[in-house]
Amino acid sequence: MDLLAKFATDLAGNLSLGMGVALSLKNLGLCFLGCLIGTLIGVLPGVGPVATITMLLPITFGIDPIGALIMLAGIYYGAQYGGSTTAILVNIPGEVTSVVTTLDGHQMAKQGRAGVALGIAAIGSFIAGSVATLVIAALAAPLTAMALLFGPADYFSLMVLGLMFAVVLARGSVAKAIAVILIGILLSTIGTDLESGEERLTFGWTEISDGLEVAVLAMGMFGFAEILRNLETTQARDVVHGRIGNLLPNAKDLKQSAGPIARGTLLGSVLGLLPGNGAVLGPFASYTLEKKLAQDPTRFGRGAIEGVAGPEAANNAGAQTAFIPLLTLGIPPNVVMALMVGAMTIHGIVPGPQIMTKQPHLFWGMIASMWIGNLMLLIINLPLIGVWVRFLKVPYRLMFPLIILLCCIGIYSVNNSPTEVVMTAGFGLFGYALIKYGFEPAPLLLGFVLGRLMEEKLRQALVISRGSFMTFIERPLSGSLLLVSLILVVIAILPAIRQSREQVFQEAS
Amino acid sequence: MTSGAPKARAHGLIKSPFDLAGGVFLLALAALGLAGGFNLPSGTLSGIGSGLMPRVVAILVGAFGVLLIVQALFFQGDRLESWHLRGPVFVLGGVLVFAVLIRGSTLTFGGFAGIPLLATVKIPALGLLVAGPLAVIVSAFADKTTKPLEIAVFGVVMTLLCGILFKELLNLPIPFDPAGVIPDPVYRAYLGAKSAIALAFGIVKNLFVR
Repeated sequence: MDLLAKFATDLAGNLSLGMGVALSLKNLGLCFLGCLIGTLIGVLPGVGPVATITMLLPITFGIDPIGALIMLAGIYYGAQYGGSTTAILVNIPGEVTSVVTTLDGHQMAKQGRAGVALGIAAIGSFIAGSVATLVIAALAAPLTAMALLFGPADYFSLMVLGLMFAVVLARGSVAKAIAVILIGILLSTIGTDLESGEERLTFGWTEISDGLEVAVLAMGMFGFAEILRNLETTQARDVVHGRIGNLLPNAKDLKQSAGPIARGTLLGSVLGLLPGNGAVLGPFASYTLEKKLAQDPTRFGRGAIEGVAGPEAANNAGAQTAFIPLLTLGIPPNVVMALMVGAMTIHGIVPGPQIMTKQPHLFWGMIASMWIGNLMLLIINLPLIGVWVRFLKVPYRLMFPLIILLCCIGIYSVNNSPTEVVMTAGFGLFGYALIKYGFEPAPLLLGFVLGRLMEEKLRQALVISRGSFMTFIERPLSGSLLLVSLILVVIAILPAIRQSREQVFQEAS
Repeated sequence: MTSGAPKARAHGLIKSPFDLAGGVFLLALAALGLAGGFNLPSGTLSGIGSGLMPRVVAILVGAFGVLLIVQALFFQGDRLESWHLRGPVFVLGGVLVFAVLIRGSTLTFGGFAGIPLLATVKIPALGLLVAGPLAVIVSAFADKTTKPLEIAVFGVVMTLLCGILFKELLNLPIPFDPAGVIPDPVYRAYLGAKSAIALAFGIVKNLFVR
């Protein structure tokens, strides 16, 4: 009991420390700006959080590290929420996690209840975000303590597990998913080897002797390649023309949504913790669950408010708890977090367990700002929905050149390097080729970011074990993580499970 | 998101051109990886050399390439998706135009892989003011419905807005008008307006903050 009381006072103390940092006028302003600009860009159809964050990365350069991280986190939530808005109003999901929202959200919009759909999405997201922030705050200290027990071999196996999750969650062929991760790891070895100082895979090109920039890769494959893909698929942009309608849900709507929001929050928070982008599963799981629980499942797909409230809550909760592996272990669980690593590195912060002990202001300030960011989204987005709708009506023929301009300025500004702009174009073409050959680009970036860490930990582990691979199996933690990875691969290959996996995605798309 | 290739089935020896192309693509990448690290030491297990990781990963990529090719010979699969030229050419062309003009550059034609040096072209630094609208206009032609006049005006306006945002408000060191394209009187008027705004802001600030 004493332990619990101590835990509670610690938590309260830490959160108030964080609030003190996050509530300064400057940081509040940055959080607000981040949420606003993030939503502004994220609302553009076909621009997901990854492209939004890369595009906006340079605007944080002039700010101190903590302010920059608060702003970036705000941009991230803004982009997430913007994606949901687009899903509801235009029927185009900005990213996989808002695919589910298009199902019932867009139907509601067509029935003249766009306002209610957007309102409940915002309310659900806010509740989920608040709970998830508490989860992060509560788990941070114990997980960080646990992280200190991790040896290099355990870290390596944990990353293998994360990548295997990414394989299981990727669409289409398992072989292609694994191959694309390997390509990412291969790309991560480009540049000067940290131990020997030898140049690797640079073909004598000095521009890449420091390794490839995450932003270059991300912008090429998620900015440019995505535009190329969009230009070919003439999406029927189904912007809702009618009235947006009342924004505030009525008592009946709220009663119907309360359960789904609570369950969605729980599902999303837990799944978001998984390494390897478990957050993607949240909305799908929530939608399936609500459909099963519903008295009349046929309402789903025809504008059931539960089908918006649950998945949106799960989406936001997962987006939030995905910060936990990054902040405590230093391992990014998904592409967005991989970008956050890049951003943190630019600002001279090394993600990992030492942040919390060495820079408590930064750590708790960021966590407190998560909650504030969620509150701001609720406050700024509901009144601004009219503006977003007008944005959505801008034709794609004007939108994509603007996105390209912003991408160019963004990439140039990362290192003031025109060469990196050229490289980004190259990766745009590379990403286009990947898409054409049926490889999903997202796991590549995860492999790229984890690749460097994995090689480092592999080398350390083998030095410690004097060259024996048995260390990966003999260490209980590492061994069990590898066992789970193995089980995951087997599951992914088993035909029965593959079919149902396809089904889940089919049903949603 | 749209998924995969058209569902038409292919016939003949190769049952899945889609997978075959993917496999060949992987083999090419594996070959590049092996070639790029062929002279690096593998080291020993207790002291891994710099060459081991790239080599092992490249071989694994190649192995998956072979797997896909074998799969393409025995299992029915999808037809290859067609590549469109218009999108990549104009979109990436616009990006390249931006890269070349923003700080100026010297382009060389030839002079590598045994080809003699054919020509060098020196491009002056033109900054965002010129590179921005050109990038917008060139890339816009990736879409058939683009209207030239509309996109030209749009490109200039957006570039000016970006200039104000990134240069004035965020102080990024991106060159805006190094070649002096903006006529001097206009630039002076702009500076005048800017200092007037700063002055007005200062007065207002003094009223509230003491």
